Amino acid sequence: MSPDPSVDVRVDRIRCSGHGICAQLLPETIRLDEWGYPIQSAGRVDARAAKRAVDFCPARALRLS
Amino acid sequence: MSLANLLDEAGLTGRGGAAFATGIKVRAAHESGATLIVNACDGEVGAAKDGWVVAHHLPALIEGARLVTGGRPVRVAAKRGSRTLELLTRAGVDVLAIPNRYVSSEESALISLAQGGLARPLTKTIPFVRGQGRDGNDRPIPATVVLNAETVWRVAQIADRGPGWFRSQGTATEPGPRLVAIGGAVARPAVLEAAAGMPIRALLDHVGVATDAEYVGVGGLGGILLPRDTAGELLWSSTDLARFGGSVGPGVVTVHDPSECIVDTVDHLLTYAAGESAGQCGPCMFGLPAIATDWHALATGIEASTADSRLERRLAELPGRGACRFPDGIARFASSARTVLADHLTAHALGHCPTHPKERHVA
Repeated sequence: MSPDPSVDVRVDRIRCSGHGICAQLLPETIRLDEWGYPIQSAGRVDARAAKRAVDFCPARALRLS
Repeated sequence: MSLANLLDEAGLTGRGGAAFATGIKVRAAHESGATLIVNACDGEVGAAKDGWVVAHHLPALIEGARLVTGGRPVRVAAKRGSRTLELLTRAGVDVLAIPNRYVSSEESALISLAQGGLARPLTKTIPFVRGQGRDGNDRPIPATVVLNAETVWRVAQIADRGPGWFRSQGTATEPGPRLVAIGGAVARPAVLEAAAGMPIRALLDHVGVATDAEYVGVGGLGGILLPRDTAGELLWSSTDLARFGGSVGPGVVTVHDPSECIVDTVDHLLTYAAGESAGQCGPCMFGLPAIATDWHALATGIEASTADSRLERRLAELPGRGACRFPDGIARFASSARTVLADHLTAHALGHCPTHPKERHVA
């Protein structure tokens, strides 16, 4: 089975209210700052994992691009 | 030749600070039928050139706006209570009165206010000039292009005098005349008709810098800090200023008051910056007050080494994490000040201040 295609995840900084679920679901590319807001490292994300993070974000602050 | 092609040929870039190619924006505006907001807010700390354009070249500014929109609606944005707003209103121009806050004159904040929203930045997914942008409540925003007042004035000049005239000034990579506002500890604060490639020393000599001035700010609150001697050896160009993390930006040069400790000056500026966050994006809302607090600890010299490593980490984490570039600008300014003032900060940590050597420093 071929790996899922990779995508970019974008954070809408105004919508984001620091729940931090993205960092749990995408630990390889997102970590949290001292106030719980995401810090993204460069790089594309597995499409299925990214979709899950988008769906689970309580603030609807994540988008795929 | 179309206006957009003419502007491409001239090499005109936005004079508000971002230096984006104006031809590209104007072409997109023509294609989408965008309305125009002219930004005459002088939103950067120390900025004065937008007001200068309105005061001295209003008919050409209006003509430039007409050329960009081809008759579609134009509004000119200026700060509430400003002389610029008064001049525009008196001239019968359709104005957009902007709250007197730093981020309120940011491009998407102007668009938001023009649409009946708050004067706060919006998340940008698609350029608003395309007409597919949305506000915070996901409502569509009609195609709008925002251009700085000087940029619009230059459009009229290029249409009148041609791209060759424009390119005869400045450098090949940063062509054309550009205004610069010089203020602070100078004898004659002024808005000067400058161009890239001029020695900064010549600009400073023109306004008469206080003899004992030691530091010069370039680009206001979102810019950099330079020792006066260093600044005096550079050319007024983004190529030269980039060596110190700066750019010609919105055309602001501030000579800092030599009678005030420069670390305290930066302290006041960062405290002001923290209060100017729109409070929308976490990294800015929490990060800017944290940075201001760290700097204040450096200024007072209390647990300075801990504060400095915390500040360094916070400054590295801040850029690129806001809906607008405000936090990026503050991180740039604070980083630059931290580097340039390293010796002065060390002195504070040891309990004395080079500016006031006779008194124990109390911030």
